[in-house]
Amino acid sequence: MIVDALTFAHDGLVAALDAAGVDRAVVCPPRARGHGYDIANERVAELCSAHPDRLVPFARVDPLAPGAASHVKGARGLFLHPWEDAFRINDPEVDAVVDGVPVIVATGYPFVSEALQVAELARRHPETTFVATNGAQINISGLGQDDALIALDACPNLVVQTSGVYREDFLEGVVGRFGAERLLYASAWPRFDPRLELLRVQWAPAFDAAAREAILGANAVRLLLRSDSG
Amino acid sequence: MIIDAHLHVDDIPALGWKLAAGDCVRRLDEAGIEKGVVMTIVDAPEVNRQALELIAEACAAFPGRLEAFARIHPWYGDESVALLERAIGELGFKGLKLHPVTTIAHPAGEDTLRLIRAAAAHRAPTLFHCGDEPLTTPFAIARAAAACPDATIILGHMGGYFHVEDAIDAAERHPNLVLETSAMPYPAKIREAVERLGAERVLYASDGPACSPRIEVEKVRLAGLDAESERLVLGDNARRILEAVR
Repeated sequence: MIVDALTFAHDGLVAALDAAGVDRAVVCPPRARGHGYDIANERVAELCSAHPDRLVPFARVDPLAPGAASHVKGARGLFLHPWEDAFRINDPEVDAVVDGVPVIVATGYPFVSEALQVAELARRHPETTFVATNGAQINISGLGQDDALIALDACPNLVVQTSGVYREDFLEGVVGRFGAERLLYASAWPRFDPRLELLRVQWAPAFDAAAREAILGANAVRLLLRSDSG
Repeated sequence: MIIDAHLHVDDIPALGWKLAAGDCVRRLDEAGIEKGVVMTIVDAPEVNRQALELIAEACAAFPGRLEAFARIHPWYGDESVALLERAIGELGFKGLKLHPVTTIAHPAGEDTLRLIRAAAAHRAPTLFHCGDEPLTTPFAIARAAAACPDATIILGHMGGYFHVEDAIDAAERHPNLVLETSAMPYPAKIREAVERLGAERVLYASDGPACSPRIEVEKVRLAGLDAESERLVLGDNARRILEAVR
């Protein structure tokens, strides 16, 4: 089974999953414009309820917004985007919205969600699983890779997604050093193209069949869909 | 014929990186690619005085498979220019590669422009690392394109993750800019670039061997170009640029 561990609720999502041969997906609200995340989260929940066997909603929140913690009570998981929503991921106020469910963090953005900043939050909440997008770094020179590896080493409760990671040696290094259970396939659709993103796992010469199965789906089922009976 | 316009050969013990010419050729073979352009990770004369020799030896070990670009640090004035002249004039290199993150030299600084012009005198292109970091953004490199209208300037990674639209905009304004696809993760942007600039101005590359040339070729195919455009992007454009060097 293939699970896309991060997608966004836009028109065409299910068709894109079908085109890429993806079975299930975590779905998050895109950046809310003109309304709050309470409304955006409701829309995502409605979308997912129409495809309960395929789509799993994660709630998005701006931790600095009034009443933020109350808006995400009961969520299956959280999605935080410090760059788009303008907060520092290790700001103390973020602690209030972390309540034990998995937290996906848009990672690698300068000043607000660098790998070591995400690691600070993960260190404060050792019982919570944190999922860093983009291999915990998003830099076309590979300049963030060392900090991503340091963060993975320091935080056993941190895993990283494959989204947009062009460096095959980095993905292989994460698996070789920390195990395949620390890497999750994700496309961040529609930001990245699932047809390309899947190849980063499927064509990587160093991954054996068990590692591929873990990265493409089993890890997401275990870490993100664990309360799910479907 | 497919040509990969951007691969690396180097040996940097401090980083634990050893990128061998044989690794490049093996990965080209996996992807059905006839020829690759190789360059070092660091620059001559510093931090590697032997950077040109390292690349020349790599190309000599695989005749007909590898072409060379010279990474040269712009700060060294006459010495930098002499290194470039030796690379192109004596060693048969086909271009100049600049990575301003490693050199802290602005793309439109006088030292850099002097090197770009020296390469252009041989009709040799200058490949810039073009991503999201200061000194490497499309509009910074566009200043060099404006200052050196006779030089072919290639935007490697065509703007990285967050500057791809800027790269296409800059190339629309400066006809001597060429976009190079390596690592940039959006197939649809390759198609947009071809539609807005013409297929002659988009160049396939992988940034291998740490990146997969095979996946990077598939990325171009996912762009859904017509057959003629795809042929230009995957190989004919690079061949035309390489063959023009004298």
